[in-house]
Amino acid sequence: MAASTFYEVRGIASDILGVPATRLNASSSPDTVENWDSVQHLNLVLALEEKFSLQLSPEEIDQMKTLGDTAQLIEAKLQTSTR
Amino acid sequence: MAIVIQPYRQEHESAVQAFNGRLQTSSGDSNFVFSQTAIPHWLPPANNNPVWNEFYVAVEASPASDLPKESRANNSPVRGAYALKQETIFIRGKGPHRIACYHHPLSEGIVDRSFASIGVLLVRDALARQPLLYALGMGGMERPIAKMLKALSFSLTPIPFYFRVVRPARFFREMQALRSEPWRAKLMNIAAATGSGWIAIKLAQAAAGLKSGSPNPATDSVTEVDVEFLDWADELWNQGKESVSFATVRDTTTLRLLYPPNFSSNIASTRRLRISRNGSAIGWSIIGQRRKDPKFGDMRVGSIVDCWAAPENTPTVIRAATRALEKDGVDLIVSNQSHHAWCGALEKAGFLKGPSTFIFAASKKLTELLQPLKENPPAFHITRADGDGLPVNF
Repeated sequence: MAASTFYEVRGIASDILGVPATRLNASSSPDTVENWDSVQHLNLVLALEEKFSLQLSPEEIDQMKTLGDTAQLIEAKLQTSTR
Repeated sequence: MAIVIQPYRQEHESAVQAFNGRLQTSSGDSNFVFSQTAIPHWLPPANNNPVWNEFYVAVEASPASDLPKESRANNSPVRGAYALKQETIFIRGKGPHRIACYHHPLSEGIVDRSFASIGVLLVRDALARQPLLYALGMGGMERPIAKMLKALSFSLTPIPFYFRVVRPARFFREMQALRSEPWRAKLMNIAAATGSGWIAIKLAQAAAGLKSGSPNPATDSVTEVDVEFLDWADELWNQGKESVSFATVRDTTTLRLLYPPNFSSNIASTRRLRISRNGSAIGWSIIGQRRKDPKFGDMRVGSIVDCWAAPENTPTVIRAATRALEKDGVDLIVSNQSHHAWCGALEKAGFLKGPSTFIFAASKKLTELLQPLKENPPAFHITRADGDGLPVNF
């Protein structure tokens, strides 16, 4: 996973969850971040879709278990779309 | 693990029961319960019915199999569920359109954050099935479901709430929302004991009636109780529908499904009123007593659940419904109404307006269809019976 994608995803998550980016890492998840509830999860999905101009399918949303998973997913989608 | 959302079938019933158990045990809230039967008790799908409920479940499909995802889900845990009430809306100038009400969404994410994505998946699945989607109620703008729908570009509109205190002393003693602090409770006790509360309430309700600026409606009307909806209801629907900007269809066929002649429920009792003048029906109303709710203490709370009439007859219908509930011995009468004629009629009958947590949320596509949604005065007709409606939530 490219570090730049992870940092971008982390920045978005930091804004939405109201948590300093430095306190978020690849294994951060709804289980470990207090503010990460279902509403914030939706906000994160919508923000990622807008920022990266892509649409996440139900299966992909389901794969977003951690920030690392999410960044990997975004990167894979970006690569597919530029091919 | 992959989440699959599919129609709720009989083979899911035990998994739904386990899902309900996990939600209730972890949250301590008995309201977190989805239908234990795949076939809805109220408004089951049936051939040619214009309104019905359908249920969907979010199932965690096991990855360790070569079977298709849908088949793998059959014996797997249920992690979420929702219901759609399929119905028809009449829009002035645009005619009838099929829409759906999104209701009773439940997600395991409520009690286990690792399922935080379920809420998003449920609402997106519902939107994919019916883009002309709405939700109603929700308990206020600050509730998670309302926030989620707002984030998905739904427009949110509170439906005005009205109440009329029939027995002020009981109201002051029992209304838990007014007794949250010890000093308030003491004040309410004084108001109840001295009669000062009675005077204040009666004055406020009389002032509301006077402010609405017109005399009492004619009293030459006749109210019949527990009538069947027959052709007369179609005539009323057709006469009145052009006076609303939109309303879910209330023709005879639909009304007989919503309020069947033999309708009864262990949690709510409803009655159908037909109001006539000179032998002709001028309107109808559904009234009932709400189930016990801690915020109302031991009060008997009556509700004007639904109603229909031409605008000029709304005061007569509200007056008739109010009298019928007062005769039943209720302590408080409540109603949610959106149309300006019904709001005016409630005020004429001495109802006071309170803060509303009954929210109408329309999807982006439905909002576009309903334009202009924010009229002044509002002319769309939404009542407590819309949305998930009877029998639980009025």
